[in-house]
Amino acid sequence: MNVRLFFVDRDETSVYAGSMKILVCLKQVGNDGEINRFDLHALEEALSFKEQIDPQASQSVAVDVVTVGPPEWTKIIRRAFGLGADRGCHIVTEDSGYVSSFVTATRLAAVAEKRQYDLILTGIMSEDMLAGQTGPMLAKILGLPCATGVIKTNLPTHDNMIEVERELENGFRDRLAIRLPALLTIQAGINTPRYPRLSNMLVAGQKEITILAEADLFHEPIEARDICIGLENPQKSRSGQILEGSLSEKAEQLFAILKEKGLL
Amino acid sequence: MKQIFVIAEIFAGQIRPVTWELITAAHTITASLPSKQPTPAIHIMVPADNPVPLAEEIAKRTGINVIGLQIPELKVYTSEIYISCLEQLMRANPQISDSYQNVFLSKNKKTTCKALIKTMNPSHIIIAHTAQGQDFAFGLALGLNAAAISGVNGIRSDVEGLIYSRPAFNNNKNMLIRPTPKRPVVLTLMPGIFKPETYKEKKTGQIDIRKVSFAPSDCQKERVQYLEIVKKTCDNRALKKTKVIISAGRGIKDKKNLKFVHKFAQCFSSATVGSSRPLVDMGWLGYQHQVGVTGATVAPKLYIACGISGSSQHLAGIKEAEFVISINKNPEAPIFRHSDICISADVVEFIETFLQKRGDTSGFHNIR
Repeated sequence: MNVRLFFVDRDETSVYAGSMKILVCLKQVGNDGEINRFDLHALEEALSFKEQIDPQASQSVAVDVVTVGPPEWTKIIRRAFGLGADRGCHIVTEDSGYVSSFVTATRLAAVAEKRQYDLILTGIMSEDMLAGQTGPMLAKILGLPCATGVIKTNLPTHDNMIEVERELENGFRDRLAIRLPALLTIQAGINTPRYPRLSNMLVAGQKEITILAEADLFHEPIEARDICIGLENPQKSRSGQILEGSLSEKAEQLFAILKEKGLL
Repeated sequence: MKQIFVIAEIFAGQIRPVTWELITAAHTITASLPSKQPTPAIHIMVPADNPVPLAEEIAKRTGINVIGLQIPELKVYTSEIYISCLEQLMRANPQISDSYQNVFLSKNKKTTCKALIKTMNPSHIIIAHTAQGQDFAFGLALGLNAAAISGVNGIRSDVEGLIYSRPAFNNNKNMLIRPTPKRPVVLTLMPGIFKPETYKEKKTGQIDIRKVSFAPSDCQKERVQYLEIVKKTCDNRALKKTKVIISAGRGIKDKKNLKFVHKFAQCFSSATVGSSRPLVDMGWLGYQHQVGVTGATVAPKLYIACGISGSSQHLAGIKEAEFVISINKNPEAPIFRHSDICISADVVEFIETFLQKRGDTSGFHNIR
């Protein structure tokens, strides 16, 4: 499977001119239908764009969500509907265990490429894998410009530009203007994700979800470029003396340690 | 022969110290390779609009050969320029490589300049796991059909080859990753793990300056415009100077429980309240309280982490603390591996008990 298949020449005139298509990529973390925290910030950003650009809800802005994962992940698409997402797509996979980000990005690209989105948002990373690869790889497959760790955005302008700030170390930020279509990976702290709304939740159950199998998108499975061969406990950097006993015994011990060190 | 390329991290025209850690990792790779395998040569790449002084500084310090990428468009970093130029250069495509001009611009006669490598054939590309590194590494990996491994914190090998460890599951575990063979590997390296080497030899590395131009296709033109660098205005000098930091994390569960953390801090003659990132993101505490790579890097005599699980970002920010105590309900919390004293308890209950023991009940019951 050669990923270059997905490189597309874009029709530059099709992008944002009062109407806009946004795609948010979601991942489930844990086993309880919970959406990755960073992806929730990405979804919030998309929904707030929609509300600002299209306050009358005239359907000129569409927020679609997509996830790649096992069958039970359909739940997070429903959750996203409850928050206000318009359409959802679930690429159902049969992988067990570790999935290389390259594989996920390639699968997402197959869906994203079909609808020619103006803006694609992902979380900066997933809370479980902490890799931060899927967004930038998806951008590269689709041939889109990409900014990672976005902590602030302005509304896209009518000349198809979006101004963003990327978070760097020590309180610094890079301010960039990026031409749409583009992909942004969203950092926590950019917004406060909303709670589901009753009106949305009522329709969430009835909304149709596009379910795709990997075989619908690819002739052969995508080959991973890395495999996980095991897990281990990280190394200690300090002694880690554990205080034993009841709560009050622990408090007494801490008090004694701090006293002895002259810290109290 | 294959090559290991270390991409120096350049920020505001300066070499960032994490670059020296990347070189240590390159040496770890060559030392870990099975002996029957040919050892790849290490080269340091310096992308800049004027890479000569930077390349000279690195070659002189490390004795390693340096390839300076002279990219006129690279006044400031953008992922577009980095990915495009590095990809052009490193694709194992002799036709492209031959067309590069080798120019040497330095007046320093002691260094020689010749094409160090005819054809680039990377086995490994080592990049810092920083805001900049993570921004271009994975797009570059894809462009080079390479494997990509993020946040590498360990490199070793077994009979089948190299194994890389990286944090996962909220920093609770390390995953052991093996790239599939016959591809280059792009690694982003967790800062602060691989110690910079000291170079005793007085050898200076060779320098090879290559002019690469960022030539976007028409549809790519000016897709990313760099506007400016901004500094979030905030005064975190208190955190940087203080002897004792009492930091709060998500384990306190409710914003109103912050008062226990403040009360705890008042037990010390002069303590400052710190915070993990999520609390600042939620607006419970101001950014001036944030400890970690994206907030303040601190070095107090005593650091008490109250309900902080310990993300890599946070742990990197407290590495220089003299004594670390953590209180966490979860006995598996990663922060316990990086603490001198571990207290497994609900943080609010523990602080309440501590305050009572200390006899500090003044107004305590009123708070509740």
